Amino acid sequence: MRPDALAGVFGGLLGAVALVAVAAGVPGLTAKLLPPEQAFRFSARTLDPATVEARFDVADGYYLYRDKLRFSVEGGAPALGVATLPAGKRKHDEFFGDVETYRGLVVVRVPVVDARAGQPLVLVADSQGCADAGVCYPPNQQQVRLAMPTAGAGAGPLVEANPRKGLFN
Amino acid sequence: MSEQISERSLSQQFRLGGLSIPRWLAVAVVGIVALAAGAYVARGTLEPSPVGHDAAALLGVSLPDLDGREQRLDQWRGKVLVVNFWATWCAPCREEMPQFVKTQTALGAQGLQFVGIAVDQGDKIKQFATEIGLNYPTLVGGMGAMQLSKTLGNDLMALPFTVIVGRDGRIVHTQLGPLKQAQLDSIVAKLL
Repeated sequence: MRPDALAGVFGGLLGAVALVAVAAGVPGLTAKLLPPEQAFRFSARTLDPATVEARFDVADGYYLYRDKLRFSVEGGAPALGVATLPAGKRKHDEFFGDVETYRGLVVVRVPVVDARAGQPLVLVADSQGCADAGVCYPPNQQQVRLAMPTAGAGAGPLVEANPRKGLFN
Repeated sequence: MSEQISERSLSQQFRLGGLSIPRWLAVAVVGIVALAAGAYVARGTLEPSPVGHDAAALLGVSLPDLDGREQRLDQWRGKVLVVNFWATWCAPCREEMPQFVKTQTALGAQGLQFVGIAVDQGDKIKQFATEIGLNYPTLVGGMGAMQLSKTLGNDLMALPFTVIVGRDGRIVHTQLGPLKQAQLDSIVAKLL
């Protein structure tokens, strides 16, 4: 290959590499804060015909408010029982009084009432959280679609509400 | 396919207005353009920065105040306007607002005007406004106000988000997250 052609190819490659690197998010060029669906990743699975397990994987530096967490089912069927939320970390809020917050992995068992085997269940989670950097996100709603299992089938696969974002979406 | 294209385009020198350009230079230029495009794409995921642009879209907005009366933001045109998007469910918002109250008291006579846009319920807003002795108007926005803030560069639609508009109606500063007193003072001092 002639030297000038080599330089041309090198220049082109450099540009292409730069394009990919910059688009992928070189620190300092893109916003440092995560969008809420990535800061508070919601997933769920069926544990047995009467229980689903909801999870929030809260990114480092972010937290969710316990009292803003709500679970419901799209269309209202099958019905949910009362979920027992784990204790959070207590902190005093000057306006709202004592509040509890979640960091890291939050796992909640949600009872399901009178579900049929194979019945679809769209679990809807309402949540609200903030970043330690000093911003809060508005109340957010995420959902996952599950199928209720037959008795003795064991836990179902974990279904994520939002797949990881790719390079260009 | 790319092999064919590169063969064809690299096999001869580019001609531009009778000028012959070495192909390495042409391809390097393409590389630089790609770099610039990459930077644009990366930044393009954020809204284009509104700083320096006319705030007409913001000033044209009309929202109800706490008494339910519609208030147009352009009634404060000609003042140094600090528009703060906030909510009671946002602790960092509540933490910075007492500073805004003090700054409004200190600099209001010189032409500084704070206006809050609350993404919240009226009763909660009133309760907090009373608690801190809010001395500037706060309008009630809802999620539509979040969309408005997005058009002003709040890509994540998080709070607090603050926009500072100069007397000439141009956006001087936008900020996601708390505005430190020193930063606010230095920006405002140049505008008053």
